[in-house]
Amino acid sequence: MAAYLVSVLNGLAMGSLLFAIALGLSLVFGMMDVLNLAHGAIYLAGAYLAVALLPGDDVGMGTFVLAVLAAAAVGAILGGVLAGLTRATPGHLDQALLTLGVSLVVAELLSVAFGEEVHAIAAPAPFDGGVPVLGETYPAYRLLVIGFGAVLAVAVYLLIERSRFGSLIRATVADRAMVSALGINTGLVLTGVFAAGAALAAAGGVLAGPILGAQPGLDEKVLLLALVVVVIGGLGSVRGALLGAVLIGQVQALGTSLLPEYASFLIFVAMALVLLLRPAGLLPPRTAVRT
Amino acid sequence: MNRAAATRRTTLIAVAVITLLVAAPLALGPYAVTTMTRMLAFAVLVLGVDLLTGITGLPTLGQAAYFGAGAYTAVLVGLHITSDAMAQALAGTAVGLIAAAATGWVAVRARGIVFLMLTLAIGESLHQVAATWPAVGASNGLAGMPPITLFGGPPLLPAGFVYWWVLAAAITVFAAVTLITRSPYGRTLRGVRDNESRMRALGYRPALARYSVFCLAGAIAGAGGALWAAQGRFVSPGDLGFEVAALALLSVVIGGAGSLWGPCLGAALVLLVRDNLSASIGGHGPLVLGLVFVAVVFLLPRGVAGIRHRRESRS
Amino acid sequence: MSVRAFRSMRPAAAVAALVTGILALSGCGGSSLSQSGDTQSSGPVKIGLLVPLSGVYAQLGQDMRDGFKLYLDQHGGKLGGHTVDVVTADEGEGPQTGVPAAQKLVNQDHVSAVAGVVNSATALGLRDFFDESKVPLLVANAGADDITGARKSLYVWRTSFANGKVAGALGPTVVKEASGPVYLIAADYAAGREMVAGFRKTFVAAGGKVAGEEYSPFGKTQDYQPFLSKIRTSGAKAVFAFYAGAEAVSFVKQYQQFGLADRIPLYGTGFLTEGGALAAQGKAAVGVKTSLHYSTELNTPRNTEFVAAYSKAYSKSPTVYAVQAYDTAAVLDKALAKASGGEKLATALTGVGPIDSPRGRWSFDADHDAQQQYYLREVRAGSGDTFVNAVVGDLS
Repeated sequence: MAAYLVSVLNGLAMGSLLFAIALGLSLVFGMMDVLNLAHGAIYLAGAYLAVALLPGDDVGMGTFVLAVLAAAAVGAILGGVLAGLTRATPGHLDQALLTLGVSLVVAELLSVAFGEEVHAIAAPAPFDGGVPVLGETYPAYRLLVIGFGAVLAVAVYLLIERSRFGSLIRATVADRAMVSALGINTGLVLTGVFAAGAALAAAGGVLAGPILGAQPGLDEKVLLLALVVVVIGGLGSVRGALLGAVLIGQVQALGTSLLPEYASFLIFVAMALVLLLRPAGLLPPRTAVRT
Repeated sequence: MNRAAATRRTTLIAVAVITLLVAAPLALGPYAVTTMTRMLAFAVLVLGVDLLTGITGLPTLGQAAYFGAGAYTAVLVGLHITSDAMAQALAGTAVGLIAAAATGWVAVRARGIVFLMLTLAIGESLHQVAATWPAVGASNGLAGMPPITLFGGPPLLPAGFVYWWVLAAAITVFAAVTLITRSPYGRTLRGVRDNESRMRALGYRPALARYSVFCLAGAIAGAGGALWAAQGRFVSPGDLGFEVAALALLSVVIGGAGSLWGPCLGAALVLLVRDNLSASIGGHGPLVLGLVFVAVVFLLPRGVAGIRHRRESRS
Repeated sequence: MSVRAFRSMRPAAAVAALVTGILALSGCGGSSLSQSGDTQSSGPVKIGLLVPLSGVYAQLGQDMRDGFKLYLDQHGGKLGGHTVDVVTADEGEGPQTGVPAAQKLVNQDHVSAVAGVVNSATALGLRDFFDESKVPLLVANAGADDITGARKSLYVWRTSFANGKVAGALGPTVVKEASGPVYLIAADYAAGREMVAGFRKTFVAAGGKVAGEEYSPFGKTQDYQPFLSKIRTSGAKAVFAFYAGAEAVSFVKQYQQFGLADRIPLYGTGFLTEGGALAAQGKAAVGVKTSLHYSTELNTPRNTEFVAAYSKAYSKSPTVYAVQAYDTAAVLDKALAKASGGEKLATALTGVGPIDSPRGRWSFDADHDAQQQYYLREVRAGSGDTFVNAVVGDLS
């Protein structure tokens, strides 16, 4: 039993990371119908930035936080560029392919710069050991990640649901033309959200570093998971992204514990089930016009 | 340009292209011909993707699953039943159709990006089955398929003969898809793409049209897979992976969704970059593919086929 | 055949006759309509090097290129007296790229032999192609048991290892060292299952008890906690694991993070702690014991000399992958002295005899597989921040 409870804990850590990564993907899709397939590459850029800034086995908390901030800045710049590129492109399929192209280029440049080897990233000093949890040793860093996820969820809730800027974002998701007609520069809002989402993804790359490391191909895996989270939760919905991330985290951790033989299928089974029962996802955003 | 002249010109070009394709093995070495064989088989898959994405407006990342189903079927038939290429292709087509019919009903309830996600999920799940099921060789795939034969003749070992068979089959599929797109059924599909609610109001059943075209595309992908196996005589889980699906979709976009010959050219281009160019630039094929993606989106928004449209509308 | 006779035939038979006719006609032509039958040109011998330049195995590919090149550089760019022209092709991650690349080497570049191949599926898929093209393939890494053995071909040889053998070498030792049942875990793909099967066979035969057996989804698992919890509750006294590359890094690190490293000794095949994986695992890997046919720490004059030359040329330590490619060049050196291509070269491979390699003396067995000594290695801290696989014993 204790083993399963530890799995639940693990699922929460994974869910926290997935939430940080999937949030940007979801909002960008909800606001401008852009499926940003470069999201995984941005995550990977963050992870490699951590490799560059945090060498060796001993990393202080200060340097680690700096690396997270630096990754966020790089992510924001990449996101801004992507926003500009996609806004210059008509057609959703073309936009998706454009981002797929960008992701291939970014991933290839990263592997040229850092080599094809697997890089491990050390957890920051006070959290690099294990703590006893229910009679098992549990890595302290994962508890930190869960804490971060909780803080992020609350912060995003306050920003999106309680602030003026948040209401603008929600309104843009619901009806972009109407917001634009009110004299608000939706282009600025869209670019801002794109950049913020990308910043979160890159920061997620650093945060996930001590757990997942950095290696070529990780971008696709992370993108796939984030896409599943977004589709399960409902495209464009913040609460949906949170629920989807927590759910997928649990499916991965607890599901593997309970049904190891079927572990590779569980995520897709979960996604197919949700879409069969609720095609728009579990918590779709509230839209102005219901079709 | 009047219509009759345009038709005549199209026919002339088609005849010239086919003649060139048929004559290719007489002049080219075996490596060039095996490469062209692979392109043709891949082009068949791409035609199916185009039927879904270009004609019906359903972007898919799952067609590789049915392509793989066809390839696995062909290799299994080749290993255990008969080396007859015709039988293998028909079996591959049938299994592609059945697999699409069995899984497609989940996907066709959705549209747009959600449809894309669902087909991706189907593709990944089938890929997982192929990669873990010992009966189909799991991650090692199925090797050792004997060379194909035709009409009870001797084994077709030389690359040129396999090429002619794949070419004949690919032309057949191309012709069939052309007929489909020009038929009333093809117009229904375009209607579903452009304005589904109007189609429903007119008394059509868009859901049925979407499901049937999904099955049809699955069958075409299965045929493509069987042709692919006829050349490689080997199949592994990578043949139904995400990469194949993404490259197929890329081919359609490069070529111009909705056109038929454009995506076939796109297929050839994509395989050329992946298989041939990559080695000569130190394995940086993905970099080139990525740049091609970006360039196509900006420079050729309607694909290679769009160039012709643009010129014609100007003249 | 008269027109009338032709008309009286059934259509299928007529087409068959036609196809046979074309086949017969093309027999004398070159081009793509005949099956290989390469004529070996004079001048330098071309050798194809088929290794991954891109994708997850690119680092292995780089090591193999370096190893092969080192042997050539040490021998004045000549193998068996011929000047060698090495043509490199990108194997990529799997058969989808590897098979076309091999076809290019053989059909377009007309190489005399191909060395390399990391991926097992690629090697299996290429078997018939090389057999029919009558060009030798020297597999320098791919480990699937079936590459040699059951479907062996005169044209397919392996200078590296078979999954079952490298894992099987460890079985009896673990029985001796472990104080109770052993848990088996591997990535869920063909190599993982072959490794576990090879280990289980010799382990059980030597009287070992299995505490449990689990396969984690291949390429999809980043989190081994569910499996590690199972190992903990199973009461196992030791663990045998097979992982490579990124998965090896995650598994070994998490094995330590979740507190198992101090309590349950970890055994595995050498790939668990080889090359880049060991560098990324760092101190988490200390104490892990593995079986492999090579270690940089092997204390023989041949190996010391090799390690020094390799480190000097590339400013990094060699890996088992580099040695495998280095030995492949050594095999070709001997065989090319007798024949420069085709069936003769393949036959010459039968008689190359023992190879004096950095890994020790080895030779081809009846199945065309490497017959060699396996070593028991243990990860220990090396000089500075590095970690090495110290050799602690021979495995029979």
